[in-house]
Order: sequence, then C-alpha cells, then structure tokens
Amino acid sequence: MPHTLEKQRHILDFTLASLLRRKGKNGALFTVYTLIVFILASVMFFTYALKEEASLVLKGAPEIIVQRTLQGRYAPIPVEYGVKIRGIRGVMGVRPRVWGYYYDPVFLANYTIMAPEGVNLPPGSIALGSGISRMRRAYQGDTISFTGADGKARNFTIARILPEESQLLSADLILMAEGEYREFSGLPPGLASDLTLKVKNPKELATVAEKIVKILPDSRPIIRNEILRTYDALFSWRGGLLIIIMSAALLAFVIFAWDKASGLSAEEKKEIGILKAVGWESSDILFMKFWEGLVISLTSFLAGTILAYFHVFLTSASLFAPVLKGWSVLYPQFQLTPFINPGQIATLFFLTVVPYTVTTIIPSWRAATIDPDSVLRS
Amino acid sequence: MIKVTNISKLYNAGRPNEFIAVRDVTLTVSLGEVTVLKGPSGSGKTTLLGILGCMVRPSSGRISLGDREITSLPERFLTQIRRETFGFIFQQFNLIKGLTALENVMIPAYPTGERYAPLRRRALEILELFNMSHKAAAKVEWLSGGEAQRVAIARALINNPTIIIADEPTAHLDTKLSHEFMVIVRQLREGGKTILIASHDPIVYDSELMTSRIELRDGRVINDGSRS
Amino acid sequence: MTARYSTLFCAITGTQLLLACLLLIHAETETAAHQPLIRRKAELARTLELSDLCLFTEASYTRHLALADLRTPFQEYPMAMEHFPSGSLTSPPPHLTETHAPHP
Ligand SMILES: Nc1ncnc2c1ncn2[C@@H]1O[C@H](COP(=O)(O)OP(=O)(O)OP(=O)(O)O)[C@@H](O)[C@H]1O
Ligand SMILES: [Mg+2]
Repeated sequence: MPHTLEKQRHILDFTLASLLRRKGKNGALFTVYTLIVFILASVMFFTYALKEEASLVLKGAPEIIVQRTLQGRYAPIPVEYGVKIRGIRGVMGVRPRVWGYYYDPVFLANYTIMAPEGVNLPPGSIALGSGISRMRRAYQGDTISFTGADGKARNFTIARILPEESQLLSADLILMAEGEYREFSGLPPGLASDLTLKVKNPKELATVAEKIVKILPDSRPIIRNEILRTYDALFSWRGGLLIIIMSAALLAFVIFAWDKASGLSAEEKKEIGILKAVGWESSDILFMKFWEGLVISLTSFLAGTILAYFHVFLTSASLFAPVLKGWSVLYPQFQLTPFINPGQIATLFFLTVVPYTVTTIIPSWRAATIDPDSVLRS
Repeated sequence: MIKVTNISKLYNAGRPNEFIAVRDVTLTVSLGEVTVLKGPSGSGKTTLLGILGCMVRPSSGRISLGDREITSLPERFLTQIRRETFGFIFQQFNLIKGLTALENVMIPAYPTGERYAPLRRRALEILELFNMSHKAAAKVEWLSGGEAQRVAIARALINNPTIIIADEPTAHLDTKLSHEFMVIVRQLREGGKTILIASHDPIVYDSELMTSRIELRDGRVINDGSRS
Repeated sequence: MTARYSTLFCAITGTQLLLACLLLIHAETETAAHQPLIRRKAELARTLELSDLCLFTEASYTRHLALADLRTPFQEYPMAMEHFPSGSLTSPPPHLTETHAPHP
C-alpha cells in the first residue's frame, strides 16, 4: 500500500529530523557504535578467514606424526621405531622427519630448520624462508652464517628463497640437506625429530594411533584431524585477548542499552504526548522509536562491517599486525583470502542491531500508550 | 455537533487527593458556533476542553459527536477522531523544539500517509495565510510568541478539521497580538469552522464574534450558554 | 526544495548495502582466484610435511602449536618474559591431554 509506505516515510522523516537535533550526541553514538562493530567484525573476518585457510592448507599435513616422550618432554625418536610401526596393518609408509629450531642471537629471532625428503640442494647451500630473507636482507646467491651445535660458525649459500605467497607456512623456514643438518645440529644418526606416517585408509587413523601407543608406550601420535582441530580452536572466543575484546564490546552495548532503557527524558515524554494529542497513534510512536533504533544501529552496523572488510582484506588487517607480531621478531606478511561466513555476519547483525532497536522501543511503550492529556498543562 | 451529557472528571479517583475537576456538565456545541469557556483559574476549563476534544476520558457521562456515541470507543478510534475532526491550539503552543515551523505544521498529517509534495504545499499555503511563509524553515524555538502561536494555529488546521479548540490562546500575547488573534478567529469562523475557546481574557470573552459563552466555577456550568 | 531526510537516509543506507554487496562479490571472486594459491600451499605442506602455520615464531609451542607437549612452553626463546599476546590468542591443542593409549 503506497499509503502505508508514505506514512512510514513521514515517520522516518520526523525521526531523522529529531535525531539531527542532537548532532553531537547522536554523532558520537554512531561513531562509537561503528567502532565497536568495526572491531568485532574485523576480529570475526580475520579469525574466520585464517581458520578457513588453515583448514584448507593443512589438509596437506602428515596423516600421523609420531613423537617420542622422554622424561615427560618430547625428545628425538629412534628411527627403528619406524620399522615397528611399519609392521602395523594399514600403515603404508613411515618417514623420519628431521627438523629443529635455531635461535639467531643477532636478530633475536627463532627459525625452524628442516631437512625434508627430496629437497634438491647443492652441498653447503640452503633454501631460505622469505621472512628470514626480508629480515636479514639475504637473497638468492648470498652467503649466510649460522652457528652449529659445536659452537662453530658455518657458511651456507642461499640457493633459493621460498615463495613469498606461502609465507603463512614457510616464512621462518630454512631447508637443508639431511646430512648437513645432522652435522650442524648434532643430531646423531639413528635418531629423528619425529616420524610421519602414511596410512591406507583415513578411517583407520585412530586405530593405528592406538596400536602405536600399545607397541611403543613412550610414543605420542598426533592425527591430522587433531592438527586441524588445533587451528580451529585458535582465536577462540574463550582465548584471553578475545575475551577482553568481547567483554569491552558487550560492556559498551550494555551502556548503550542502559542509556536507552533507563527511560525517556521529560522532554521526550512531552513530545510523545504532543504527537499523540495532534493525532499520532500509539503504533505510530512505536514505529518512530523503531526507526530511531534502526537508523542508528543499521547504519553503524553496515559502516562498521564495510570498514572491517577493507581493514582485514584490503589492508591485511594492518591494525592487528602489532598484536599478532607480539614479541616475535619474525612474522609472516600475508594477504588473507576473503573467506566470508554469512552466518557470522548474520549473528553480528542480530547481536548488534536487534538488541539496540528493542531497547530503544521498549521504554517508549508506556509513554506511547498513556493518555495525551498531560500536554494540556505543563 | 458535540454533545456531552452529565460529564464528570475525577482526578486520582479513590485516593486521598481525589479531585473533581468537572462535575455533571451537560452541554451542546453546534456546528459553526464560536463558544468561549470562562471561569477562574482551576475551574476546569482546560479539563472540559480536553473532554470535548476527545483527549481526556471523562470519569462518567456520555459524549456524542454528530450522531455517533464516542464515550467508550477504543483509543485507536479516538485518536483518529482527534486527528480528523479537531485542531488543537494549546495554552503552551506545544510546538516540537528543534524542528522547523513547516515540519511542525505537517506533523499531524503524517499518520494519514498523505503524499509529501501536496502535503508540503498545503502546509506552506496555511502558513502563507498567516503571513508566516517566510519563517517556514525557521526552527520554532527562535520564533516570537505571536509567530509561534500562528504556527500552532497552522498546525491545528493542517488536517482541515471541523472544530478548532484553543486553550487560553491570548495568555502569552500582548494586546495588539491578542486583537490579531481575534482577526484570525474571524477568518476561521468565516471559513466555516466551529470554534471552542477557553479564556478569561476580556478581549476574547467580550468579543462580538462569540456566539455562545459558558461560565464555569468549581467544575460546574453556572450560566447555561447564554446566546448573544 | 531540499531533499527529504528519508530520501537521504535511503540513499546512504542504499549506498552502504550496495557497497556491502560489491564487497561480497569481491570476496567471492577473490576466493575463487585464490584457489590455485591455496592448492600450492597445501602442496607445499605435503612435500615439506608441515604440520603448522607460521603465525607466532617466538616460542616453540606457538610456532608448532599442534606439536606442543605438556611441558614445552617458553623454553626456546631466551627473552620470553610472557608470551602476550600470542599466548592468549592460542589455546593448547585439544588433543594435548588426550591419549591414544587404550584406556585401562
Ligand atoms: N492530572 C491531574 N491530577 C490532579 N488534579 C488535576 C489534574 N489535572 C488538573 N487537575 C486539577 O483540576 C482542576 C482543573 O484544572 P484545569 O486545568 O482544567 O483548570 P483551568 O480552568 O484550565 O485553570 P487555568 O485557568 O489556570 O488554566 C485544577 O484544580 C487542577 O489542579
Ligand atoms: Mg487551563
């Protein structure tokens, strides 16, 4: 009905004119509201995209990793454990993984050195993660020096830099031939960092893991699913920092709601009385309050969400970078794939727009239904 | 025609501060009349106007508008009647601060859903009628008392009501402006409006425009609408 | 005659909605365009047998979150006072306290 539509537009006109009377207050409200939505939406976009990316990328992770625990901490695993594990039904292949950490005392940074299978590197040369390359300004063909387990410095030639595009996985990696790494790190032959397994049937992973622990009680198998779950639990809302952000946002909304729900000012009540006296129905008053809540919350919600998208996906979450870097000297610079979860956006919408609008309407309920005779006297 | 029969209004009924503002009033206002309610302060003029204008529900008695009994109509219908039949000019003007004169004039028409362009044109025409079109875009709190009243009158007229109700219209005006108000009353009367005014201002009360004068005391009518 | 407030509001909200839709389309196309890249990353994880993302390099348990054991936190990085904020962004892997050993 065009008639109803025009009526709602009139009420909206009135609401906007009323809101514009208190430009400062409502402008501040809009700004704070937008800021909160921006922060929440940024966190949401960032964590979801990162988790989604992790789940896709880590599908390539080993099916089972077997660690060994010694004296309650994990320790190099004897390679012959692999022989026993190979004998378990369903295990198609076992490979010892040789890798470790390296602390760079000059740059105060931690690197991960790996000796993967089938890496083609000429003797005395390494492949360098792009993060290290960027930090140390070391490029292909340069020579770089690391101190080995024996305290002696060794020079390596940088054969290649690992691709920029995969920084999220490899920013801090150094790839070395296995023999050289053993010599460099002092890991004796016959020991490996851990074992990776290939299993015939993915459904059997848990059974295989159980059998491994039965045969080798000091081993600790980690299934790929558990790795994926680990990254799914990352940035969970119960995590320390996020709970602070959440509580701050919640607090702000409670303050907004309080401000609204604590009732109408005498002035507002009087205006409602005037409107009723000149022929507005109770429902018109409630519509006006509905529009008031919606105008503020919807525009703030949209503005905050749009800004958050720009922030997270077009500026690589630049505001979060310091938080993510934390104490680490070496960190990846990556551009997130904009995975969007419509459910999350809907949740944010219902958590921000709906409560605000409702708390705007509810206190006016009584004022909207009382008799307008109060305006006859002041 | 508005007819009220044995109307009473109790405030705070049943409580120690119970107060009878209007007692057992019966009167009829015919179409085209200009009626003035007179009486000392607190005699119940405003209350009676509120009842006649469907804004205050009486505690007892019956009201009919034309041949329609409206005493016990639900709130929604009363609001509609108020909007379509009555135009109010309040003692305090009761304009909405922060909005322009034009917006204030248009407000009573919003619930009707009338198209914006014709509504705006009509509002401007009414303002023009009172030489107020140059103030259409001015915020009402910057208007002088006389200007504010003319905006209030324009607002009362926007829905083209048959009955205009004015409560102490000259209370905030000086003599010159009060006479100007009476000129407007004449205009309205010539336009065929029924007019109900509460006032103890002689300029209003003794004006020859009045067709009916009702005097109230302690909520009672003491002279029954002597015609002039 | 100046525009009605409701017209301005509809224009602003409409623009916002349009922008939001454009961003959704952007997200859709970008995600599609990133598929080969993601496949290459998964391939890298497969060939190098990587188990973790390189998000926080300051400690072993944040660098290799999935491989953390019950006692490793804080042991590698000499200046690690407290791993805020990464320590509070990560949580222990869900399997940390589980064991694949048959239950007695
Ligand atoms: N809501 C109320 N509760 C209690 N008493 C009320 C209420 N409204 C009005 N009254 C009382 O009813 C009486 C009549 O009030 P009313 O406003 O009708 O008088 P009035 O004739 O218009 O006076 P004035 O000339 O001063 O405007 C007054 O004594 C007033 O105190
Ligand atoms: Mg009065």
